[in-house]
Amino acid sequence: MGAITLEAISKSFGPVEVIRDVTLEIPEGELCVVVGPSGSGKSTLLRLIAGLDRPTRGRVLIDGADVTARPAADRGLAMVFQSYALYPHMTVRQNLAFGLENSRMARAEIARRIDEAARMLEIDGLLERRPGQLSGGQRQRVAIGRAIVREPVAFLLDEPLSNLDAELRGAMRAEIAALHRRLGRTMIHVTHDQIEAMTLADRIVVLRDGRVEQVDAPLDLFNRPANRFVAGFIGAPSMNFLTLPVPGPGGAVTLGVRPQHLRLVERGLTVRVEAAENLGAETLVHGTTVTGERLTALLPGQLRPRAGERLVLGHDPADEHRFDTDGRRVG
Amino acid sequence: MSLGARVGAAATAPLRALAAALDPAMRGWQRLAGRGGMIGLFLLPNLAIFTIFVLVPIGLNVAYSMTGGAQVFLADRPFVGGEQYARLLECENHLRPRTCRDDTFWTAVWNTARFVVLQVGLMTGAALVTALILNRSLPAKGFWRAVFFFPVLLSPVVVGLIWRWILQRQGLANLVMVEGGLEPVNWLVDRFWAFAAAVGVSVWAHLGFYALILLAGLQAIPKDLYEAAEMDGTRPWRVFRRITLPLLTPNLAVVVVLALIRAVQIFDEAYVLTGGGPGTATMFLTQYIYETGFASPVRNPGLAAAASILMAGVLVVLTLLRLSRQRRAAQR
Ligand SMILES: Nc1ncnc2c1ncn2[C@@H]1O[C@H](COP(=O)(O)OP(=O)(O)O)[C@@H](O)[C@H]1O
Ligand SMILES: [Mg+2]
Repeated sequence: MGAITLEAISKSFGPVEVIRDVTLEIPEGELCVVVGPSGSGKSTLLRLIAGLDRPTRGRVLIDGADVTARPAADRGLAMVFQSYALYPHMTVRQNLAFGLENSRMARAEIARRIDEAARMLEIDGLLERRPGQLSGGQRQRVAIGRAIVREPVAFLLDEPLSNLDAELRGAMRAEIAALHRRLGRTMIHVTHDQIEAMTLADRIVVLRDGRVEQVDAPLDLFNRPANRFVAGFIGAPSMNFLTLPVPGPGGAVTLGVRPQHLRLVERGLTVRVEAAENLGAETLVHGTTVTGERLTALLPGQLRPRAGERLVLGHDPADEHRFDTDGRRVG
Repeated sequence: MSLGARVGAAATAPLRALAAALDPAMRGWQRLAGRGGMIGLFLLPNLAIFTIFVLVPIGLNVAYSMTGGAQVFLADRPFVGGEQYARLLECENHLRPRTCRDDTFWTAVWNTARFVVLQVGLMTGAALVTALILNRSLPAKGFWRAVFFFPVLLSPVVVGLIWRWILQRQGLANLVMVEGGLEPVNWLVDRFWAFAAAVGVSVWAHLGFYALILLAGLQAIPKDLYEAAEMDGTRPWRVFRRITLPLLTPNLAVVVVLALIRAVQIFDEAYVLTGGGPGTATMFLTQYIYETGFASPVRNPGLAAAASILMAGVLVVLTLLRLSRQRRAAQR
């Protein structure tokens, strides 16, 4: 239950194509994170799955059944909105009950589900409050609770953590992961935060300008990015790209090395230091190469290089990535 | 300098010259009177206008309401105490104007009450429906919004005249009805239809304004609340009852109170449309005050003043209601 398939989905708003030919298979029970920069079409993709928007082309299937023309309410999905979309004039209990009352569910069953979800999310003390009387984190829980009580086949979460402060975001991230294990339901989680994607996902979908750039498990994505965009987007600080003096085998023109893979060596690449940031355990060095390309290196320990000083850096060949003129991975 | 900035500079040049000319005098005054004195100086023009056109007339009105006779100047008028109020308020049965000392006043009171209830009720309902329709994505949205708002821009006298031309015996409405094979109706001569016309025309004239207030309220409701409801398969009527209506309540309250205040003061468009007739069928309070004080063969300024003070009392209550609502909304 809850396997979601997108078949060559496209969506245009007027002349603007926002989702372009997206094909995706999300197996039952997977926690799939869609990550991409702001405006890449993540929300639109989620709304197409939810049924709040209709694709211009292509089909949406849930458990093998074509639901493309089915109204949102009949897809068995629940959505957590970025803004939470709680009804401000209703108490938490009424918010949780509202959707269930539509289906003429028995009162006792509604109460049972609300109690269960409230206990799971530790909001049982807040049931008689209104959203305006809750903190951001509590509202977030209520929004998730409203999805849980519906017992959907899959959850759709649109940047659910983006309105929380950094500390709370970390805690809620762990809770969402725990919730996923406990409920065992399919979850599609949308975010622009690649760390959130890396820590949470069974599989990550990288979206850019409405196109899927790569679909892979977090570490595979990190270790073998399919192209320059994914290589630069996943991992912090971002990967360095250097132009190769002569094209390598397979038409490789760009060399990619992650900052944490660079080391101080005897003979290698000479880099002029521009600035250094001490992070405590590591030092982040910003500099330029002799050919004027920017480069960052995350070096272990507490270094104090002066601006203008020259460092010699090198890396293990196993840690390097190569890309052709179109930005595609070579090798 | 951009063209806009240059035009702006040219337009404000006389003002700046004036300010420069006044500057020494202002500085002198501030040295003399201090900061408090400056505040007083700036408030003075407005205060003077308020005193001359509001405070003094209110005082005069109270004074007139306690005098009798038809003389215009207060000094010539005999003091009668509460006699004018007694004349207005004494009734055997207030529900039946005929049993009152001043039957026209009570006719006007009950006409106004009936008008207020009908007009405010219809107006609020119609404005709500209009706003709901205009809030949907319909073609030529801007055009329709303008159509409903346009009458608000018309002077009430123009509104009254237009509808008199439409509704009079040989007016447009009857012309169309006769062409269509129907019997003509004497809209403005029939007691029922004349009252209905007064209500209807007034609703038509002000609808756009209130619809706009409600439309603003509707647009302030976040779209994703409706999408959350859609995900839950909420039926349209339930969405309206449980989401739209509760979230629109503050705006609805503003509309009702504003409409109440204006409906109590109904005069110009109704007066031009029906002149209060037939008989006294559409005679409202303001018209009663106007005719008693200024237009009847035997003028009675004292009586008119007393009636206007009673009416002002009602308006004060309604205004306080509005202010308290505003304060409560501000606290939220
Ligand atoms: N209803 C709409 N009408 C027109 N353009 C839209 C609409 N919804 C989204 N877009 C456009 O589609 C693109 C992707 O939007 P969105 O899916 O919200 O991106 P994301 O969630 O990744 O930030 C944006 O350029 C946005 O302007
Ligand atoms: Mg978004």
